[in-house]
Amino acid sequence: MPIIGSSLSRLGAVERVTGAQQYAADIRLDNALQVKLVSLQCAHARIRAIETAEAARVPGVRGIFTAEDLPQPVPRFGPVVADRPLLAEGETRFSGEPVAVVVADTHDAAAAAARLVRVDFAELPAVLTVASALDPNAPLVQDPAKRARDPLARTNILQQWQFGWGQVDSAKATLVVENDYAFPMVTHFAIEPHAFLAAPDANGVVVWSPTQHPYVLQRVVASALTLPIARVRVIAPDPGGGFGGKGWPKFEPLMAWLALTLNRPVRLVLTLEETFQAARRASARIHARTGFTGEGRIVFQDLEADFLLGAYADIGARVVSKASYSACGPYRAEHARIVARALLSHTTPSTAFRGFGTPQASWAVESQLNEAAAALGIDPVEIRRRNLPEKGEAFNPHDTPADGEWTTALTKAAAAVHWDSPLAPNRGRGISLGLKSSSTASRSIAIVRLHFDGSASVLCGTSDMGQGARTVLVQIAAQELGIEPDRIAIVMGDTSVVPFDSSTSASRSTVFMGNAVIDACASVKAQVRQIVEATPGASRDMPYADLLAAHFGPPRGEVIGIGEAGNRYEPGHPLGGRAAFWELMCAACEVEVDPETGEVTVHTLALASDVGKALNPHQVEAQDEGAAVMGLGHTLMEQLVLGADGRILNLGSLDYRIPSIKDVPLELHSALIENADGPGPYGSKGAGEGGTLAVAAAIGAAVNHAAGVTIRDLPLTPEKIWMARNANRRLGD
Amino acid sequence: MTIVLTVNGSPRTVECKPHHSLLEVLRERLSLTGTKECCDEGECGACTVLLNGRAVDACLVLAVECEGETVQTIEGLAENGRLDPLQQAFVETGAVQCGFCIPGMIVAARYLLSTNPHPSEDEIKEGLAGNLCRCAGYSRIVSAVSLAAERGQGQRQD
Amino acid sequence: MATERRLEYARPESLDELFGLLRAHPDARLLAGGTDLLVRLRKGADLPSMVVDLKRVAEVRHDIARIGGFIRIGARAVITDVVGDKSLRERFPALVEAALVVGSVQIRNRATIAGNICNASPAADTAPALVAYDASVNLIGPEGSRALPLEQFFIGPGRTMLATGEIVASIDLPLPDGRTGSAFGRLTRRHGVDLAIVSLCCVTHDSGTARFGFGAVGPRPFAVNTRWDAPLEDMRGHASPISDLRAGAEYRIAMLPVLTRRTLNTALDRMRHAHTSP
Repeated sequence: MPIIGSSLSRLGAVERVTGAQQYAADIRLDNALQVKLVSLQCAHARIRAIETAEAARVPGVRGIFTAEDLPQPVPRFGPVVADRPLLAEGETRFSGEPVAVVVADTHDAAAAAARLVRVDFAELPAVLTVASALDPNAPLVQDPAKRARDPLARTNILQQWQFGWGQVDSAKATLVVENDYAFPMVTHFAIEPHAFLAAPDANGVVVWSPTQHPYVLQRVVASALTLPIARVRVIAPDPGGGFGGKGWPKFEPLMAWLALTLNRPVRLVLTLEETFQAARRASARIHARTGFTGEGRIVFQDLEADFLLGAYADIGARVVSKASYSACGPYRAEHARIVARALLSHTTPSTAFRGFGTPQASWAVESQLNEAAAALGIDPVEIRRRNLPEKGEAFNPHDTPADGEWTTALTKAAAAVHWDSPLAPNRGRGISLGLKSSSTASRSIAIVRLHFDGSASVLCGTSDMGQGARTVLVQIAAQELGIEPDRIAIVMGDTSVVPFDSSTSASRSTVFMGNAVIDACASVKAQVRQIVEATPGASRDMPYADLLAAHFGPPRGEVIGIGEAGNRYEPGHPLGGRAAFWELMCAACEVEVDPETGEVTVHTLALASDVGKALNPHQVEAQDEGAAVMGLGHTLMEQLVLGADGRILNLGSLDYRIPSIKDVPLELHSALIENADGPGPYGSKGAGEGGTLAVAAAIGAAVNHAAGVTIRDLPLTPEKIWMARNANRRLGD
Repeated sequence: MTIVLTVNGSPRTVECKPHHSLLEVLRERLSLTGTKECCDEGECGACTVLLNGRAVDACLVLAVECEGETVQTIEGLAENGRLDPLQQAFVETGAVQCGFCIPGMIVAARYLLSTNPHPSEDEIKEGLAGNLCRCAGYSRIVSAVSLAAERGQGQRQD
Repeated sequence: MATERRLEYARPESLDELFGLLRAHPDARLLAGGTDLLVRLRKGADLPSMVVDLKRVAEVRHDIARIGGFIRIGARAVITDVVGDKSLRERFPALVEAALVVGSVQIRNRATIAGNICNASPAADTAPALVAYDASVNLIGPEGSRALPLEQFFIGPGRTMLATGEIVASIDLPLPDGRTGSAFGRLTRRHGVDLAIVSLCCVTHDSGTARFGFGAVGPRPFAVNTRWDAPLEDMRGHASPISDLRAGAEYRIAMLPVLTRRTLNTALDRMRHAHTSP
């Protein structure tokens, strides 16, 4: 049975259905101390004094630390800019930023002591919106002195970009559609809250974290504590959901410092509320002006995008630059101008989140197309068809050409919702594409060990957070080496064992780690061929075990292959390199809106993804469906609501609603388009983010049609829909 | 306080404080970490266990309330290391992604099938309405429960 | 000296024992299902010195039984049992409909109707149905017992007529004469488990009366008596909803006529198809 393209049973599934799988919070270290963070419940405050004496008297407390106890100057960390202090120093910049940390024998003692820490603080005005971030009179979120040599240091603009081509201002268009779009502040809400452990060890320090990028964490911890990388070990248990929220360091540098300072293992498990305060998606306001010919061809795209980041940069600037760069989507445009700003605010640091800025851009750009279609009397499927590039065509003059037959996705998704059939009353249909740039410059290294008995081990730094990386990489090794999957072990998540990998992000791992594994297997096979040549009586079709026994003799041994794959860093390119491949998905839907209440029922949602080759079809479909339901979340129900003081008002699962099993579409179809035209193993591309890109504009168009409204800010709640209908009716009276 | 309760078929004696939830005691005192902690307020279902045969959120039960009672967790489902039909079905249908919601999901499904051995799709959704998943589209989870029902999961004694 | 949190737990086995504990610990909280209490304890909204578990008090019943002209729901009856009870399903179907939307199966396996009403959230799901069915609540304390119409039992958000040391013993639902129909309706932010933005229940009688119970549109659940054989009264005058995280007041008010009409129609439809009660 072919291994590639078979839906091999997921590795790790059995452990998960029996409760044996060890997530970070399940790890027990002997002698570990429990940690609790102390933070303020307002966004921006000056710290006058922190009283810890009473808290320190709780039996079992081993230490209470504030910024004063840290090395001076206070260590700062961050994946791009080291702007974030281990503990708030003099000033807090977001609700949930820790001002003190308690370490105690038991969780109860730590929690009791944390409640007794008294912080004398003065609440300060906070920047909480795009408008206030752009206001020249607003307080500065970051200290200009710490942004030396940055011409934007006296603003809340972290960074800004302008991309594009042609001459937008002199372009002539028959129809110009101009609108403002808003994408809400949402949070990852992985079912596993964050948990971290750290302990001193013989080499230096070990950090356990369900991080998606063990090697990023390693270098950031090392840098924050001025340790050599070689002395920092990261052990990364499989995350219980990541979605980008577990990509970039949060409290690990602090935990590493505590472990070294106390010379004891330390453990911190965040509550769900603390997790909400720790990571979120950047919200965005996008002003879109799109020019069309009478036949619906895009003459120009003129976009101004403001992304609201949080108090610290994290990976936020990259989110904005990457998404803006390809914001025009999978379409030809004679002219384009994209002006984008990454804005700081006194809120939870925004970080990577599935789609990496593109959901925000797609919401605007695809909605523009839908509106133009209506205005010009052109079918929304057809208007897209007219603007899609041919495979191989450079639709963005500076980047990778179209690498798929993208029209196929459009056709399949439309067919699955019976696009041309008559619509019942109160119903609407919508369609949208979503295009994401994958990895630009990155590197993956894999080691494959062929053991003496003909079994093998694969060592790689990819993180399996539910997408099934373990399974797919074993399938690849099995295929390449001709070994049964159940005779292959895969080791991940330990920087002292597995070699370097840039990250598990950008849907890159099947392609890059997959290619690295193939490369490592090729090295093993080359060595095996040499062994055959050098071993008397050996032949190519001997089982590995017999060959290696003959070759190594009683002392035994193994054959090790190292493989590498990546895409080249291009210093002149604004993103550091071109997209290795494009991830494209089409979403089409049919919805019903209750005209009296605004409630939305999604009858059908159809997805079609251009994946090159599905190495494990079940896993790809499962990822696409999951992404689509996550997309339904930000489309219909998710939004973090901030109070005037910058606190998150709907902190926790009671009032932050994500789709439950009763909220899924009544019918959900997913199709995979496989033309073996990707750069990955066997012609594969990456997948898994598409649903978050394409669902919003499809649902948005359908809802707007069904309800007779035009809503351009998400989420489309029943109340919002009802209010829009009611406003229309009043106007019509 | 010292309490005695039956967990996965065995009597267990546990030291705990009155304010400790059953979830905390299972995870921290009994080292049964299969049951997960997420929202801690009965909204997500990750901590679902069977208490006297009924599915409950362990975060909303004080450990001391369980004196003399019977608790079954995900670890108690597989007999002699063999997966039960529900566990098997979850593996086969590809319902498992990151897996964090899965123990709660399976225990809730187990309860559903014990009260309704042949549920419709809507009844499955009702039965699992208290279990959140962020990875999946839920459809394979529904398929897994249907498949297990077909294979007679509901007829097994708890 | 600063200490960890102190919480005592008691599990009395008789009413006398229970009353004695409540007298000795006036700030004690009663524990039945725990689905509201444990959340408040965890969030620090409530820091009592003691939790008194009702579940072993012999005189507090957990069953649902016909007593003369009533169906009596014991204070310890969990919502799952309410949902599964044959007599309630037949005679008080809208209560069962309401009970089915209380949280999830996991919540319903623990939560009690009594607890739901004692928690007195204005949005409590079972309250509109109980109120529409003209339920009364039987209270018992060290001084004796008393009964109150349920509508009078609620004072405001989180506040009831329970005196210190008193508990709910049971809830009585009067069996109606003649043909009735009833329906429960509510509006939420998502199709899945959620708190109500507006909830209501309608009970119609073939004599022409319609009694509505409303939730989440005022500080406490309340009833409106009207007639279905006359033009439908505008319920908006009775309601005083607030704007909160879940919904704005304007939307809540606007949804009242919509849901009122829908539940009334369903109730009437069911009434027309019902058999007269014996």
